[in-house]
Amino acid sequence: MEEVFLRAVYFGTPLLLATLGALLGERAGVVNLGVEGMMALSALAAFAVAQGSGNLLLASLAAAAVGAGLGLFHALVTVTLRANAFVAGLALAMAGVGAAGLLGKRYEGLPLFLTAREEVFALASVALSVLLYLLLYKTRPGLYLRSVGENPKAVDLFGGSVAGLRYLALGLGGGLIGLAGADLSLAYRPSWADGLTAGLGWVAVALVIFVGWHPLRAVLGAWFFGLLFFLQFRLQGSVPIPPEAFAAMPYALVILVLALSGRGRAPKALGVPYERER
Amino acid sequence: MRLEKDPNPSPLKQALALLLGLLLALFLLWPVLLVYGLGPDQALGALLDTLREPLGRAEVLRRSIPLLLIGSGLALAFRTGFFNIGAEGQLLLGAVGAGAVALFLPPGPWTLPLMFLLGGALGAAWAFLAAWLRAQRGVNEILSTLMLNYLAQYLVLYLVSGPWKGETARGFLYTDPFPPWAQLPTLGSSLVHWPTLLLGVVLALGLQVLLFRTPLGFELRVLGGNPLAARYLGLKEWRLLFALALLSGGLSGMAGVGEVAGIHHRLMEPAQISLGYGFTAVIVAWLARGHPALVLFTAPLMGVVLAAGDGLKLAYSVPFRVVDVVAGLILLALVVADRLSGYRWRK
Amino acid sequence: MRRLAFGLLLALGLALAQTDKLKACFIYVGPIGDIGWTHAHDQARKKAEAALPWLETKYVESVPEAQVVPVIDRLVGEGCRVIFATSFGYMDGVLEAARKHPDVIFGHASGFKRAPNVMTYMADFYQVYYLNGLMAGALTKTGKVGYVGAFPIPEVKRHINAFALGVRAVNPKASVYVKWINAWFDPAKAREATEALMSQGADVFAFTEDTPTVVQTAARKGKYSFSHYSPMLKFAPDHVVSGQLVHWEAIYIDFLKKVKEGVYTSKNLQDVDYFWLLKEGAVELGADYGVPINPKHVSLLKAARMKVGGKEVPVYDRVMALLKDMSSQAPTFDPFTGPLKDRKGVVRIPAGRKASLQELLTMEWAAPGVVGDWPGEPK
Repeated sequence: MEEVFLRAVYFGTPLLLATLGALLGERAGVVNLGVEGMMALSALAAFAVAQGSGNLLLASLAAAAVGAGLGLFHALVTVTLRANAFVAGLALAMAGVGAAGLLGKRYEGLPLFLTAREEVFALASVALSVLLYLLLYKTRPGLYLRSVGENPKAVDLFGGSVAGLRYLALGLGGGLIGLAGADLSLAYRPSWADGLTAGLGWVAVALVIFVGWHPLRAVLGAWFFGLLFFLQFRLQGSVPIPPEAFAAMPYALVILVLALSGRGRAPKALGVPYERER
Repeated sequence: MRLEKDPNPSPLKQALALLLGLLLALFLLWPVLLVYGLGPDQALGALLDTLREPLGRAEVLRRSIPLLLIGSGLALAFRTGFFNIGAEGQLLLGAVGAGAVALFLPPGPWTLPLMFLLGGALGAAWAFLAAWLRAQRGVNEILSTLMLNYLAQYLVLYLVSGPWKGETARGFLYTDPFPPWAQLPTLGSSLVHWPTLLLGVVLALGLQVLLFRTPLGFELRVLGGNPLAARYLGLKEWRLLFALALLSGGLSGMAGVGEVAGIHHRLMEPAQISLGYGFTAVIVAWLARGHPALVLFTAPLMGVVLAAGDGLKLAYSVPFRVVDVVAGLILLALVVADRLSGYRWRK
Repeated sequence: MRRLAFGLLLALGLALAQTDKLKACFIYVGPIGDIGWTHAHDQARKKAEAALPWLETKYVESVPEAQVVPVIDRLVGEGCRVIFATSFGYMDGVLEAARKHPDVIFGHASGFKRAPNVMTYMADFYQVYYLNGLMAGALTKTGKVGYVGAFPIPEVKRHINAFALGVRAVNPKASVYVKWINAWFDPAKAREATEALMSQGADVFAFTEDTPTVVQTAARKGKYSFSHYSPMLKFAPDHVVSGQLVHWEAIYIDFLKKVKEGVYTSKNLQDVDYFWLLKEGAVELGADYGVPINPKHVSLLKAARMKVGGKEVPVYDRVMALLKDMSSQAPTFDPFTGPLKDRKGVVRIPAGRKASLQELLTMEWAAPGVVGDWPGEPK
């Protein structure tokens, strides 16, 4: 039983970090479908730095920096240039996964002798969820940040900078997504390979909606998905149900739970570029 | 001088901006290609070869077929605010429908039409599920269509490794090959299954007519342009949503029928059937900005990108990821260029 | 005058040698970067090019099954005279392309359909898996050995069966627990499947997946594992015991030499099938080249005993003896020698004979001791 819980947490950790990252951006009103690509590039950065320096902290910071950089780039495209966030995110996902595959060729098949502990990432991810909750719900900048996702016009009227807040959210969120990548290539599976993220970024995009854009519920949501993902293998063979049905279970249950639990409310201005009227 | 909004940019200006975007993308690609020892001349050469050689042109056409079908449906869906990113799954369901008819129904002149009908119906049902979940249970369609993609994959996997596994497949994950009467004819010795291509062209034009010449189209346009007005006019939002889902899912399903009846002639491991067309078609649909007929241009455009990427990979043994990077960067550049065309300088 | 003629001849010969390179092209189903199947074929391509000075090669990676015909058309256009297609799924495409290009020679890995200009080839591990099974049977304390399987296809089933037969030969009470991940490459699924096996009590691991994830996961908890396809000793030097290594170059070099010599042409390949094993050097036992068993575990395997023909022998000796036998020119031992029943008690290979090639290639049954789902299991 304890083992099952640990698997739920450890598999859920990179998902949680990525979900928090995407959630922060969406709270500020910007959809980010590029998570998969951002995770891939930052996982590569983490592995490359760990290989070169042997310093895991430095490697994690590098991953966070790469993630933040990509988040800011997404902000540039969607906030300043006001491009369609869905399409820009999709492009980011494609280009990111592709570029990570190209740049990472020389790191494939290399072992990592210093591996990070999954516990550290797991604890950090929970702490970050709480921190994010406090930031969003208990501080003034957090209030502004949420408002910019709900009613950017009001923020503008009160003298807040819509663009600035969105840059902040996407940059910080990108950093969190970067940490998710670091978890994958340093701790969860300490090595680099093209395709390492294997669709986890897309699951994170879905989880943001699943947890109703709430950082504390994100913890439970990510662990819930981790639990289901592990159970598909744990239960396989012990019940007379085809393995494909178990494999499909996590995805089916995510829809089902959301359908039964009722609607999470999306930030009102989600996906709408803000333009000041004159 | 300062920048101001240009509410009605001329088509010429838009086209120029897009061209500029393409150039920007190529410029960004330069260093990536240089790492693999490729100059811009060679990259350009691969692009031109694709357009010049009959083999290359056939590949462009083959790649355009599913993009055309899925893209025109998605153009409609996005215009009306239904963010269907589950075309991959709907395409797979279409393949399943085609397989059911081809493998288990008695042969006849109705086989191929029936494959398209059932495949389209299953694809439509898959999208309808997402629309229903949104209407009845408030489930965001981005989440549901993403998850339904995975479900579709496992459904196909279950079929090919279990009940539908072929006698002739020697235990591998394939169904038996479709009988000849369930295979689409192709152009010469290429893999261009022209009936699907024709169907795609007709449907894209049909959707355009539907959107701009019928009452349903009017309601869809109102819903997409101004949901509040739609409510004010008393439009039945959910019914429109369902119609939309059925249309875009149905077209994706037919794309799946075309792929298996025209190229594979069997069902197989899902990743080999869909090849990411469902996501690439999002680009195609966006470029067409809500005009299904414009997909007739944007689908071949992405077809060229995909085929040229393949050509590059083939001619210079470049890693296959180069295709993703090319497509991603071009898309980013186009999105940006498109936005910039909505501005003008004022002295 | 004679010297001049000789010089001319020499120059002519050199010029001929320059232009007379044989161009062989390789079509891969995955990216070469992984350390599994495609990587192994690409290593072999490089080794063949190094060994045969008259050989020129080219490759295309990540070619989807549907695209194999256009890709072959392009390759033929670029002057490829021998084309190797390295995935089962290319089968019908290769045959179609072979009809279109009757003068080009094709090799199709792991297939079973041939033509006058299409040969088939495979380097198979089932003997090596049996040897791995012997060691796994000796090392398991819980009596549960874990196996992470990619797809339930005959090749993987054959390997699991051989492995299970080995495990049971040492420890008749042990079982092999199988989990399918339905992917050739998916580190996350491989990781969780291994964890699931561990939580069910498995303490020794083998697998088919293109990353060292299973090896790394097992080592985290101090469990033994057997590497797959490429050398993975470096990923867990203390816990990898042995494994399977492939030498596709053995096949490529042999075949290309015979093409060069004119033994094989585009007219006479109808019956050419390389199903190469230990004997031909196409596969090797070990987790790194030249290291059949990790020296760290040799003493354990020497201490473990098993019954062979009523006599007690150390497992290590048995492994080495069988390895020597199966690597010799006239092997006497084969893991699939009758009488063999499947796990349901149905006789699959009658007493007194070995499994035929056909039986090996279409193996769908599960050996005794295999536990878990087995899609496609015959009734």
